[in-house]
Amino acid sequence: MNWPEKISITCFAASYLVVLAIELMRMYIPRSAVRSTIKIGFAIAGLFSHTVYLFYRANVSFDQSGLWLGSWFGWSLAGAWLLAAAYLWLIFQKFNSPIGIFLLPVVLGLIGWGSYVGSETQFSAVREKSIWSMVHGVALLIGTAVVALGFVFGVMYLIHSRRLKSKSISKSGQFRLPSLEWLQRYAERSLLASACFLGIGFVSGIARNLTGTSSGIVIPWQNPVIWTSAVLFGWLIFASIGSRIYQPSRNGRKVAMLVLVSFLFLVLELGIVWWVGHATGGEP
Amino acid sequence: MNMLVIGCSHHVADASFRERVSFAPNQVSGFLDSYYEKFPESEALLLSTCNRTELYVLADQSDSVPSRMDLIELLASRHDVPVQELDSALYAHRDSDAVSHLFTVSSSLDSMVVGESQIVSQVKQAYELATEARPKSPLIHRMFDAAIRVAKRVSTETKIHENRVSVPSVAINVLAKQIFERLDNKKILVLGAGEMSEETLTYLKAAGANQITVANRTAERAVSLANQFGGQTAAWSELHHQLSLADLVISTTGASEPIVNVESFEPVMKARKQKTLFILDLAIPRDFDDRIGEQFDNVFLYSLDDLQRECERNLNSRKNQWPKARKIVQDETELFFRDTRRRASGSTIAQLKKQANSIKDEELKRLMNRLDSVSDKDREQIEKSFHRVVNKLLHPPLESIREDSATDDGQAEPVGLLDAMKRLFKLE
Repeated sequence: MNWPEKISITCFAASYLVVLAIELMRMYIPRSAVRSTIKIGFAIAGLFSHTVYLFYRANVSFDQSGLWLGSWFGWSLAGAWLLAAAYLWLIFQKFNSPIGIFLLPVVLGLIGWGSYVGSETQFSAVREKSIWSMVHGVALLIGTAVVALGFVFGVMYLIHSRRLKSKSISKSGQFRLPSLEWLQRYAERSLLASACFLGIGFVSGIARNLTGTSSGIVIPWQNPVIWTSAVLFGWLIFASIGSRIYQPSRNGRKVAMLVLVSFLFLVLELGIVWWVGHATGGEP
Repeated sequence: MNMLVIGCSHHVADASFRERVSFAPNQVSGFLDSYYEKFPESEALLLSTCNRTELYVLADQSDSVPSRMDLIELLASRHDVPVQELDSALYAHRDSDAVSHLFTVSSSLDSMVVGESQIVSQVKQAYELATEARPKSPLIHRMFDAAIRVAKRVSTETKIHENRVSVPSVAINVLAKQIFERLDNKKILVLGAGEMSEETLTYLKAAGANQITVANRTAERAVSLANQFGGQTAAWSELHHQLSLADLVISTTGASEPIVNVESFEPVMKARKQKTLFILDLAIPRDFDDRIGEQFDNVFLYSLDDLQRECERNLNSRKNQWPKARKIVQDETELFFRDTRRRASGSTIAQLKKQANSIKDEELKRLMNRLDSVSDKDREQIEKSFHRVVNKLLHPPLESIREDSATDDGQAEPVGLLDAMKRLFKLE
């Protein structure tokens, strides 16, 4: 048995749990350099084992049947990896902010969801290995991670804004969130980036259908997956462009609401995709 | 180690007296040189800040420490202050009290604003000047290394430094930074040109603000304040236009009624396109209608009362940390003395053992010379026997010294027993 094979989901999930516990401790225990170092150490260890796990499993699956990352299981774990990597980057951007308290539950939720559905829900090999499927899957994966990230920034903005309005800053103690300006900027950026990635995912999904059909251009708009994807994409375009053009909608609170609604749309769409068996080889 | 500190601080002397006895950094070396001319057997450090002037002197031998009056006369010779006046104004602490005092000072528990961080760098600076004046100062090194360590412990293990306690510092360094990521690209509008505006602008400048506009009913004062902080002025009649441009407003006018109410603020918010606005209303009575903060999403309006409540909470939070910080100082003082006593007794123990072994070796040699034909095995037994006798004789007194050095009776050294031991065994 080689060493990457020994790495299990428990390894990195446990590391992220430790990081989350350390993040939660800041609310009760004063800052300490030792604790921050341990936190960063566990975050790096978790991300490293997560990376090795994904690479190893992807290689094995590719050799056997097809792209392992195309399954719900791999897709969830890859999404969690993107968010964990974003967390590590954010730790260094905002060293003393408790971003992990908001972001790590999403990471752990995705890992939990992936483990729950299991790896048997594979995409069919024919669809996985087409270039459009690859682009479709990767773009949707990144877009989903960015929407989740935007959701986290939006939630943080609303909590922080509410606290500032109620004038209870010192009650927060160690729970110091990034500035409203920073949260708003990153929520806006995530809105734009998610529109781009989900747009690419949507268009490549259509292109995949077109190339796979011998009877001409047929887009099954009646399929709930297609129209919910179109609605989500449309919403993100509207929200991104609208917030750029119409200045009052750049009000931080409105941006936060836009990213929250985007996240709800995404959850709804993923739910529909799951129920109609889109990703498990069903139609379309 | 023997230690004496004399000095005065904001607790016992007013600013005018403190100014008379203070030393500029370039005067410290000269003073320490004159100190060492008079008292070469001891070590000295002078700590002089705007809130305190303190002279710390240390020596291994108690009779090497100058008396309080010696130090007062030396200080009087450097300043134009009569000896009698200094005698009545300066406090003095000795040994454990002096160490505890130094630890309290360095960890900012004795500062005017408890928890301020400037004092530790001032202590470090005084330490550097003392070691420049006399590089070989082992007692100063030990003492002040410990003081800086205690300051660090108090800073990291308590929250005493965390919360700011003045209104402008809370407003800018706590609140503004929670709203804005940076201040250098923000438009600051100052309404009124009073002292509070000036103090707040000092913090804003330090935080990087550079787009400052001052509007005041009296143009002269506005120009003066704007020039002081590199800003510009605006006519009072442009108030609403300026409000629509600003990101942060500091209002300190002496108006008897609010200068901006909800109705007059609505068009401002429309013109701003709902951009975030942070208003610091530091005027009494208030300049901004309180409902403005409630009715507009992106407006954060803080009045003087809100900020003062924040300051009081912070002050209480610091007070809550006080016992924890005091405990650290107390523990470190005890630890310092335990270590000092252990070092002092360690040297006496080593001397005593050396002396006893030397006697043992001499007697053993003499015995061996007198005895004929002792086998190697017998010789070894005799040596072991001598060794055991010496050890058994020394064990009770050495144990007593060790026990004595481990107790905390507030003495820098286990004086009585150690002195007795030195005299009984004629140790140096």
